[in-house]
Amino acid sequence: MGRRISVFTTIAIMVLFVGLSGCGYNELQGLDEDTKAAWSEVVNQYQRRADLIPNLVATVKGYAAHEKDTLEGVVQARAQATGIQVTPETLKDPAAFEQFQKAQAGLTSALGRLIAIAENYPNLKADQNFRDLQSQLEGTENRIAVARKRYIEKVAEYNKGVRYFPTNLTAKFLLHMEEKPNFTVADEKAVAKPPEVKFN
Amino acid sequence: MSRVWREPARLMVFLGVMFAAASAWPLDVPPLTGRVVDLAHVLPPDVATSLTYDLEAHEKKTNNQVAVLILPSLEGEPLESFSHRVGTTWKLGHKGTDNGVLLLIALRERKVRIEVGYGLEGTLTDLRSAHIIRQEIVPRFRSGDLPGGIASGVKAILGTIEGSYTGTETPAVGLRLGDEPSGFEYVIIGVAVGFIAGLLLSHGLQSTRALLGSVLAFLVAQFASVLFGVVAAAATALLLWLIIQANRGRRQGGGWEGGLITGPGGGFGGSFGNGGGFSGGGGDFGGGGASGNW
Repeated sequence: MGRRISVFTTIAIMVLFVGLSGCGYNELQGLDEDTKAAWSEVVNQYQRRADLIPNLVATVKGYAAHEKDTLEGVVQARAQATGIQVTPETLKDPAAFEQFQKAQAGLTSALGRLIAIAENYPNLKADQNFRDLQSQLEGTENRIAVARKRYIEKVAEYNKGVRYFPTNLTAKFLLHMEEKPNFTVADEKAVAKPPEVKFN
Repeated sequence: MSRVWREPARLMVFLGVMFAAASAWPLDVPPLTGRVVDLAHVLPPDVATSLTYDLEAHEKKTNNQVAVLILPSLEGEPLESFSHRVGTTWKLGHKGTDNGVLLLIALRERKVRIEVGYGLEGTLTDLRSAHIIRQEIVPRFRSGDLPGGIASGVKAILGTIEGSYTGTETPAVGLRLGDEPSGFEYVIIGVAVGFIAGLLLSHGLQSTRALLGSVLAFLVAQFASVLFGVVAAAATALLLWLIIQANRGRRQGGGWEGGLITGPGGGFGGSFGNGGGFSGGGGDFGGGGASGNW
């Protein structure tokens, strides 16, 4: 009798394990973790961009101090973008995600205007410091594009896991996971094109 | 051509252009045929050879993988996204250290980019890359000296990243926490699991135990979610069981139909070896580097 119980217990444990791995419990957890890691990289790169801005603004001021509106615009957009705290947890909230995306897009366009006015100031354009900052900014924008692309891919994988059968059952009833919001395509096109830098 | 036909003809031309543009969009990543891939044929053979030699010597010494790609045209694809795609497709640099660099030159667009792997971003910064392009490459390109610009660009890149990693810092082959084990490690795990399972099997003489043992082996292997492990475990367990059974000269009836053979389906993915040429070591790129025009 003792043996019989142990056999049944083993089989029960076995069924439980097979069941858990078969229904994608681990897989879903892994996908969730992947999206969080990819998101950290996105935030990281945006932060890197924000860190470059004070120097850039100071340099431009040296040559074009009267372009007040544009300079103020960048400073404000930066303050707005860095003022939003986004943790992996708030990723589940489409509204918070939208807010973050909007603030960063605002900073992107403010920076675009700042770079554009540089065209009118040959001395600024020739300034070594400005050129260096511009190269760094360009590099950072490119990293942002890469980080966003990777995040988009990870979220797509995660969302598939949450929606496909049978893992959707695990996601819904066991883990209470929901689809995560993703970057929109229209927005992606704007970001995918890094600012043009000409070495003339 | 008569008037009636003019409009349709124009439409055809328009559609033709549209189609050509659409089909040209995703430019294929060229095959990695060597450290210097000169599809535009701008490098004299001796320059290409000496560059290849330098790059190879550099990898032997420092473990960094640097490659050069010269394209006739980007076919309308953005430089940065294509460059990143080439880097990640070729997998320049080594897994774990991500120490690869790609120097990409697009002739028709007159664009050049240095794409830097994750692991070298600290030394070959965006700024340093921009300086190399601005000071070493572009002036020579402008004066029409493409081979000279490429050679001095490569020299500057190698000089910058030299010493970032030494050969001894290669990620050790072995099971590290958080690392995907390689196929070989799967086989070892599988054999170990199979061995234990086989012992279990032959030890328990009753058919229920045998069944349990085999299912246990299957389970452990399945938990590692590894086809290699399952196959190896199955083979080893079966072999061991058969050998021990034969040695004992005892007949065991039944008890095997549950067993090991029902592992998760799938095929053997990935290819082993690369036919002796140069191949990427599994490095990753995060969009670091710089671009320029000439």
